[in-house]
Amino acid sequence: MSPSGQHLEPALHPFTATADVLTSLAERANQVDRQVAQAADEVLFPTIPDGLALVSVGGYGRRQLFPFSDVDLLLLCKNEEIPLSHKPEISAFLQRLWDVGLRVSQSVRTPEECLAVHDQNTELNISLLDQRFLAGDRPLFAALSKKFPRFVQSNRDALMRNLVRLTRERHTKYADTFYHLEPNVKETPGGLRDLQFVRWMEQLRDADANRLTSPEAPGELRQAFRFLARLRFALHTQSGRDQNQLTFDAQDALADNGEGKDVAAWMREYYRQARAVDRAAQRSLELWDAQSSALFAQFVGWRSRLSNADFSVHRERVHFRTPHQLESDPELVFRLFEFVARHGIRLSHEAVTQLEARLTSLREYFDENRSLWPALNQILTQTHAPMAVRSMHETGVLFALFPVIEQIECLVVRDFYHRYTVDEHTLVAIQNACSAPASYGELLRELPYKGVLLFALLFHDSGKAHSDAAEGYAGHVEASLEAAEAAMRRIRMPAQERDLVSFLIRNHMELSSAMRSRDLADPKAIHDVAQTVCTEDRLKALTLVTYADISAVNPSVMTPWRSSQLWRLYMAVYRELTRELAEERIADSTLGAGADLLEGLPVRYLRTHTEEQIAEHVALAVKSEARGVAIDIRTLESAWQLTVITGDRPGLFAHMAGTLAGFGMNILRAEAFSNRRGQVLDTFVFADPTRTLELNPSEVDRLRTTAERVILGKLDVRELLKNRPKPKPPSRKVRVPTALRFDDEASTTATLVEIVAEDRPGLLYDLASAISTSGGNIEVVLIDTQANRAIDVFYVTVAGRKLTPDDQSAMGEQLRTACSPT
Amino acid sequence: MKKIEAIIQPFKLDEVKEALQAIGVEGMTITEVRGHGRQKGHKEVYRGQEYTVDLLPKVKVELVVADSRVDEVTRTVVEAARTGKIGDGKIFVLDVIEAIRIRNDDRGESVL
Repeated sequence: MSPSGQHLEPALHPFTATADVLTSLAERANQVDRQVAQAADEVLFPTIPDGLALVSVGGYGRRQLFPFSDVDLLLLCKNEEIPLSHKPEISAFLQRLWDVGLRVSQSVRTPEECLAVHDQNTELNISLLDQRFLAGDRPLFAALSKKFPRFVQSNRDALMRNLVRLTRERHTKYADTFYHLEPNVKETPGGLRDLQFVRWMEQLRDADANRLTSPEAPGELRQAFRFLARLRFALHTQSGRDQNQLTFDAQDALADNGEGKDVAAWMREYYRQARAVDRAAQRSLELWDAQSSALFAQFVGWRSRLSNADFSVHRERVHFRTPHQLESDPELVFRLFEFVARHGIRLSHEAVTQLEARLTSLREYFDENRSLWPALNQILTQTHAPMAVRSMHETGVLFALFPVIEQIECLVVRDFYHRYTVDEHTLVAIQNACSAPASYGELLRELPYKGVLLFALLFHDSGKAHSDAAEGYAGHVEASLEAAEAAMRRIRMPAQERDLVSFLIRNHMELSSAMRSRDLADPKAIHDVAQTVCTEDRLKALTLVTYADISAVNPSVMTPWRSSQLWRLYMAVYRELTRELAEERIADSTLGAGADLLEGLPVRYLRTHTEEQIAEHVALAVKSEARGVAIDIRTLESAWQLTVITGDRPGLFAHMAGTLAGFGMNILRAEAFSNRRGQVLDTFVFADPTRTLELNPSEVDRLRTTAERVILGKLDVRELLKNRPKPKPPSRKVRVPTALRFDDEASTTATLVEIVAEDRPGLLYDLASAISTSGGNIEVVLIDTQANRAIDVFYVTVAGRKLTPDDQSAMGEQLRTACSPT
Repeated sequence: MKKIEAIIQPFKLDEVKEALQAIGVEGMTITEVRGHGRQKGHKEVYRGQEYTVDLLPKVKVELVVADSRVDEVTRTVVEAARTGKIGDGKIFVLDVIEAIRIRNDDRGESVL
């Protein structure tokens, strides 16, 4: 259709053509120049001999005109009267241009308007940076062109501010990433607009009163421009219109140059170029931020106080103090990213360059089997972990650490559903896990191993580079597992964490599969999922992984509909997991040495304890034969754990809770199980707020002896509690309303009692005592603490049977009284 | 021409789609919706907090078919979507006045 068709032939296959794209673009501009001049001569200038100049601006002004893009034409009029009185001629002129197939985007302005800052029309101001005279009143144009540099220089800040704002808005529209599967080569970050942005910012910054500079782009950006320009040229030619989106179809067509080129590899080239452009644009934005506001400068100065021995903070960026230290101490890299993760401050340009220069030696260092997990975990547990991981990805450090992930770099997965490349999807998933809203966010806070969770997300799709499309949906799981397991062994992650990572990767699609294809109201469906996850902690972690994974597919996938389905599934499985305690008991007597202890314990016990732990418990049980009781106290990472095995008796659990409270301990978690032989296995995880045990090792022994005496009836726990440190009176109103619930359906033999109340030292003792004094016998206990909320679940019987309504109301009253702070 | 609107259980979607494709019905529109019939909501308790679930997630399948196919299509959907339990959903049949293909301006039943 376009009359200029014959000029475009050579450029149809730009990636094999010898025609230089810049020449083609200039040729097109020249051709349009001729068409404009001709139309003006015939229609315009005869009736408007002076006071009107035709000026090319924007891309046209730069002599970079793409086959079907808009032609930016400025009709510069001496005054406002000219366009008003010559409306018909101007219309006819524009009509002429439309008729020859040009899409004219015209503006009619006076010189005064061109020398004013238009906050609502930044495009006008910016387009004038590339003004070029075409035809008409030359002196009129010359006058404007003379005054223009001074105008720019005087209004530099306002112009730059507007341009930055416009650019940031555009970036936000494209989710601040260039990793789109079908990018728009003009608008997406890393595209042609960003290249122009970099150039304009330099022009504005360097403008002096006499002339506009024409900055020379660095080689890297010149190369990127050629690549993107050829791409846009080809897209226009292919579609016959101003089509700038690199759709899958377009990618297929362009990648095939007769030799059957690999589309994925071709697209990776695109992302490489886009990354270079994106970096330059980001740097430009950073420079602007650093210079712009006084308030910001003050804030930046304050942040400099975060500098430490290894790193300094300058202008909101992290610098190495002694970069060559990287050679002798490669693990400085971990400390660097921990710094980023802790404070949320980005790397300086120098730090990035210094890292990139040492990637080869870092890669060699990491290649060996080393205990790197603790340092990595330190990074992943910080507040700004997602930012640090992204930074590691951008600098290449992540690939040096885990080469297998490099295979998913810029990997395109072809389905319309996925918005991002696989590596970007992974980074977005990690971000989503850490910023999950509302109830999901609470799950994250309850999990003691955020680092492990993020590690699992990092690898969950790493196998996609290997997966056969034929294997379909789950093809990548095995490959991802293998990749993760190899990495975990190399960095010497401990066994329990490795198990969890493997579990999460292997099952990362279970929940979404259940949501999609199972009836969530069917108990069997819930039961099946519960069997797969086994424990509440695993369920929480898997739910978070699922939430993060789904919402990282593209921004609109996690609709409220889907979110509530996932939560519904989570609640149902959670209930199932906390209910099956009293039911399924270990019956298998082929347990060997541990049979005495294990027979009759809930099946859950086997699932929540490692073989090591079970062996220890069995040994403890043997020890308890001698004196009737055996107690083990040990430290955990940030808390203490007390395990006791003894024969069951009334009030036992309450007495243990009371003993701990008497020592000023704060119980965080507790479990109580009984087996067929009437033995009880109680575990308490508690915090020591005054660090008594840590600072006085003899206190540990005293705790143990006291507990033994209480259990054996030699000491009344109430004596202990008389002398306990009084808890501080609540300095704020009780925020957690007490919730009490009896559930008769949960178990066939016992009544489930669930209490949610404001946590305080001694609460558990009070609750357990209340149950005992009401005649209740505690069969199983599950205690959890969520910030200041205590969530206590008891399975209770009275005289060997479930609670009657009378029992319930009597016990309920006692429990409510116990919950109120004293 | 008639429009068939079916509100079904989310986990039945794949089955319904396959069943429709098997009888040669290709075009359909799927929406995620919430609602309830007499199934109403119920309370769920999680950690001492009550969640009232009164709008249950469902999926709406919409298709327009020739008059002659209405019975066949509704029967297919019913068989694929039925579990026999409360909450299976409902199908509504509405009159359609015109159908137009945007690409080439074709009209009428041939468009379906």
